[in-house]
Amino acid sequence: MSDYSHLRGHRFPGGTYTLPAHICWLWTDAAKLTPDPRIAHPGLIYLVAIRGAGVSIQDIFDLMDATADSGVVFGEYKADIHGTLRPDATYECEGEVISVERKSGRRAGVFDKLSFQVTIREQGGSDPVAVTTNDWIFPRKGEEA
Amino acid sequence: MARKLEVGQALDPFVIDSVDPEPMKVMAAILDDPNPIHFDVEATKALGMGDHPVNQGPTNVTWLLESVQRFAGGPDKVRAFSVRFLGNVFGGDRFEVTGEVTAVDDAAGEAELALSATSGGRPALGGTARIALD
Repeated sequence: MSDYSHLRGHRFPGGTYTLPAHICWLWTDAAKLTPDPRIAHPGLIYLVAIRGAGVSIQDIFDLMDATADSGVVFGEYKADIHGTLRPDATYECEGEVISVERKSGRRAGVFDKLSFQVTIREQGGSDPVAVTTNDWIFPRKGEEA
Repeated sequence: MARKLEVGQALDPFVIDSVDPEPMKVMAAILDDPNPIHFDVEATKALGMGDHPVNQGPTNVTWLLESVQRFAGGPDKVRAFSVRFLGNVFGGDRFEVTGEVTAVDDAAGEAELALSATSGGRPALGGTARIALD
């Protein structure tokens, strides 16, 4: 059985991410909502966290030895929000894996739950704009609980 | 002046009548998400997930948060949220977010909301949010 618990504490590269105004517009438009040129939709917190933490979705798949077509899904996503995101503003992010747990469910079968947390600060700011926690579910068909 | 809310007060339902598969391709590009279930129907078929592409989780969350911020009075009023992903949202589904106030703390100037979303009549999201009253 593969064990990924050693990933706890694994730090993402971190860094800065400038949230492009056109990405704010495209994201909001793709969701069939009306873009606001002054404030980014809070849905974009997810993107800033991933980009700013310096990881791609594929990077996280690689950490867990998963492929893009292995049926990885979101489990839970939460955020404490202390400010709004602005188009074209730059954010500093740091993130790390906070847990990996092997679980099983009647419907889902055997799976690993990876949890990671990312803190977002506006560049030069000390207080977080948001702190996010993501749980991703990695199916482990054929493996033992 | 702080807004007055009452426990049990309902949010206006937020509805997408039919989830459009085309914007999933834009979101896959923005997210740099290689998972083909979002843009290649053959992949969803191969995984036994049916013959419609799967909407991205961040889009579903964006809709849930849109419902919250409309009720709260703007994105600056959203203080926290937690979302559980209960099921897939497929292209062509009718997606609906509903919610209600579960607690009001006038001293803190905040209220708690319970939220749920269905897609094609199936549970899609469950969650909570905390909003500012002023």
